[in-house]
Amino acid sequence: MPRTEPPDELRTNRDRLVRVRCAAEIVHPVHRGHLAVDWWDRPVALPGMAGVCRNLRLGSPVFGWAADHGEPGASLGSRDSAQHLAVQVLACLGNPVRVASGRAAGATGTVIGKHAYVLCDFEPEALEQLVPGDSVVVEAEGQGLRLLDHPDIAVRNCSPGLLAGLSHRSGPGRLEVGVVGVVPPELMGAGLGMSSEWANCDVMLHDPVLRGAHRLAELRIGDLVAMVDQDHRFGRGYARGWASVGVVVHALGPVPGHGVGVVTVLTGPADRLGWWVEAGLSISTACGVRP
Amino acid sequence: MTAGPAAGGAAATNGGRLIGTTLTGRVAPVRLLGDPYLVDRDGTPFVGVGIGGIAPAVRVGMPALGWAGEQVEPAVSIVHPDPAANADLSLQACVGNRVEIQGGAVDGAIGVVTGKHEEFQAFTHVLCDFPPEVSERLGPEDRVVVRAVGVGLAVRDAPSVACHRLSPRLWAAWAPRVTGGRLQVGVVAVCPPHLVGMGAGRLAATTSLEIQTSSPSALTAAGLDHLRLGDLVAVRDWDGRFAIGYRPGALTVGVIATGASRRAGRGLAVTVLVSALDGRLEVQVHPGANLAALLAVGEAGP
Repeated sequence: MPRTEPPDELRTNRDRLVRVRCAAEIVHPVHRGHLAVDWWDRPVALPGMAGVCRNLRLGSPVFGWAADHGEPGASLGSRDSAQHLAVQVLACLGNPVRVASGRAAGATGTVIGKHAYVLCDFEPEALEQLVPGDSVVVEAEGQGLRLLDHPDIAVRNCSPGLLAGLSHRSGPGRLEVGVVGVVPPELMGAGLGMSSEWANCDVMLHDPVLRGAHRLAELRIGDLVAMVDQDHRFGRGYARGWASVGVVVHALGPVPGHGVGVVTVLTGPADRLGWWVEAGLSISTACGVRP
Repeated sequence: MTAGPAAGGAAATNGGRLIGTTLTGRVAPVRLLGDPYLVDRDGTPFVGVGIGGIAPAVRVGMPALGWAGEQVEPAVSIVHPDPAANADLSLQACVGNRVEIQGGAVDGAIGVVTGKHEEFQAFTHVLCDFPPEVSERLGPEDRVVVRAVGVGLAVRDAPSVACHRLSPRLWAAWAPRVTGGRLQVGVVAVCPPHLVGMGAGRLAATTSLEIQTSSPSALTAAGLDHLRLGDLVAVRDWDGRFAIGYRPGALTVGVIATGASRRAGRGLAVTVLVSALDGRLEVQVHPGANLAALLAVGEAGP
C-alpha cells in the first residue's frame, strides 16, 4: 500500500462521540510498609506511582530509573471509587486536561497514559507547581470511537486527535500503523485478563539482553509499539493471529511480572491490522504534544 | 535438616522442622456484584457459574475444560470472613493438608486442600476436596478446620528451589528426587510461556497464575486441551520464586486448581508449588501426575 504523508483522514464516527468533562485530582502516593522483591532479587521500596513525577515526562527513557512503574507527570484519580473508575475508563490518550485549583490553576496538559491513575503530561513550569490534591478537569472523549472503513479493528483508549495523527497506511480491508518496536507475546505480563480500558499491560523487559534481542532497549514514554498475538478487544489476552497497537505510558516496574506499561489503542486480526517499524514514532508526534 | 529421605524415595527436606498450625474457614459465599454478565473474548455476555460455594459434582481428577462454568472450583471453596485472617489462611494452607468439618450434619468429616484461587482485588479461596455425601450436607455455618503445614519447606540438596504451599504429605506422594543438585518432579504437561495470563506480577506464595484458555486453538497447539483438575503442570520460562514473572531458563510447577475461563487473558488457575532458575528444576512428563491419584482424593478417593 502507498505510504500517505501526511496521513490522509481516517474516516471515523468522531462527530458522534460524547465528550464528558470529569473532575479528578492529583492523587497522593501511598505506601503500606511492604518491600517488594525486584527482578534482581533485591527488596525494594521505590517511588514512581501516583503524585507528581517532576522529572519524568513524555519522551523520557523507560529504563534505568530508580522507580517503580514511574508515572510521567501528574497522576489523576478520585477519592470516590466509582468516580475513580469512571475517569479511569473514560479518559483517552490525547485528551486535554486543565488544572482547576492550586498554584498551577489554569495550566493545561494532556492525557498520555493510564495505569491505576490517569497519567498527564504538563509543561515543566506547571509540573513544578502541581501538588497532590490539586483539582484537574479531564475532557474525556474517545471510548466508542470506530474506524468506519476498518470495522474489524477495535479502537480503545484513543482520542480522535491521536487516531487522526497516527502515522498510517490505509487500504481496502487493512490498516498499517507505524511503531518503534514489536513486543512478542511471552513478554506480556501484569494487565493480562483485565479490562482493555483499565490501566495498561506491563511488558516484562527487565533483562537488558532481552531488550536488546527485541530491539526495545531505547523505548521512551509515548512511543508506539505493536503487540504480536494479542487480542485486546474485550480484556487483554493471547490469541494467535491477532495484533494490538499501543502507547508506552510508564517506566519499568522492577518486580517480576511487571514492566513497561503499554495502553492499547488499536486491536484486530493480524491480516487486517499491521505495522511497520520506524524510529521516533510517538504520541508526541501524533498529537503534537511537545515533549 | 532433620528429616532423612521420605517415603517412596522422595528427596530429603526439612519436613521435620515445619510448624504445624491450625486455622479455620467457612464455605465461601457465592457473590454477585450487580451485573450478572461477564464478557467473553469476543464480546459475548454470559453468566459465570462456579466460583465460591460448593460444587459437589466437580472433583479433582475430572477434566478441567468443558464445564459450563467460569473457573469452576472443585468441591468445597472456603474463606475466612476477616480479610486479614483470610490472607493468612491462603498463605498457610498447603496442597495436601488435612481439613476437618466441625459442627453441623457432617461433623468430623475429613477432606484435603487441593489448591487456591485468587482474583485480584476480589477474593482468595482455599479449595478443599470432600466426597459428595459430605459436600451435599455441608452447611454455611459449619467450621472448616485446616491443619496447615508446609510453608517453609526446603529441599536439602537443592536449596535454591523455592517451595510454596506444598505439604509434606504431597511431597512424599509426589516423590521428587534430587540428581546433581537438580530437583526432578513429575508433571502431566509443560505450558509454553506465552499462555500465562492473569497472575503475572503477583506473589507466588499467596496467589494463583492462570493458563489462558480463551483461545482454544492455542491450547490445543500446546497440548494442553486434555488437562484435568489436580494435574501437576510445569510452566516454562516463568519464575515463581517471589513475584511471578517471565524469565528465560526458569521453571515453575503447580497444580491445576480450577476449570477454564472464557474471558480474555483468563483461564485455569494454577497454584504454584515449586520454582527455580537455570535448570535447577527438571520435569518428567507422565499422565499420572494428578492429585487424585497421589493423594487418593477426588475421583480416586473413597
